[in-house]
Amino acid sequence: MDTDAVSKAFVEHYYSTFDANRAGLAGLYQDQSMLTFEGQKIQGSQSIVAKLTSLPFQQCQHQITTVDCQPSGPAGGMLVFVSGNLQLQGEQHALKFSQMFHLMPTPQGSFYVLNDIFRLNYA
Amino acid sequence: MEEHLEDVGKTFVSHYYNLFDNDRSSLASLYQPSSVLTFEGQKIQGVDNIATKLKQLPFDQCHHVVSTIDCQPSSFVGGIMVFVSGSLQLPGEEHTLRFSQMFQLIPSRGGSYFVQNDVFRLNYG
Repeated sequence: MDTDAVSKAFVEHYYSTFDANRAGLAGLYQDQSMLTFEGQKIQGSQSIVAKLTSLPFQQCQHQITTVDCQPSGPAGGMLVFVSGNLQLQGEQHALKFSQMFHLMPTPQGSFYVLNDIFRLNYA
Repeated sequence: MEEHLEDVGKTFVSHYYNLFDNDRSSLASLYQPSSVLTFEGQKIQGVDNIATKLKQLPFDQCHHVVSTIDCQPSSFVGGIMVFVSGSLQLPGEEHTLRFSQMFQLIPSRGGSYFVQNDVFRLNYG
């Protein structure tokens, strides 16, 4: 498995889904998934999607600057570390962010997000 | 359990940057042969290679100031994901650099932790 290719494909899918239809992210999380969003801890697909769909903006666009990935261990997991910009509708300046994902394989040959941590990078 | 995780993460982060800033060669003790570091996009594996890379960074002194630490349990029993953001001050540089770094900590014998995964990125802009 080419972890670089898989992680880049995941990142593209994640952010294009986020930007087009946030509710569509539900399929990427499971009951044991954990999100820490700007310090707030949320567990489980339903709660995570509720959080993401209730963020205080309608439209946004993520632009990815860097993607780093590493295998996380013998279970076939991958760690993906992303940095980029987040443009919110109506805002003059884009926000900068960093995010890490820990992807775990599913029996169907895909991946789900076990760990997800998001932080804005303030100047 | 939650609190314990946060405490371990904070203690580790404090120890890591303290070593980095004051005794960089001792960082080797936190890695094992399976450890992987990605430093500004460059991938390095194993204790010796990682220690060499960190030792050869083009500055003698530096000071990390941590702004945020987020922790979550990893897939390993007792493993911890740690996500850090902060500033890095280099001597002679007027402006501090900003960075983000993530660690996956795995329990080692003796009740301590080692760094299995380490990714470091400067935050430009």
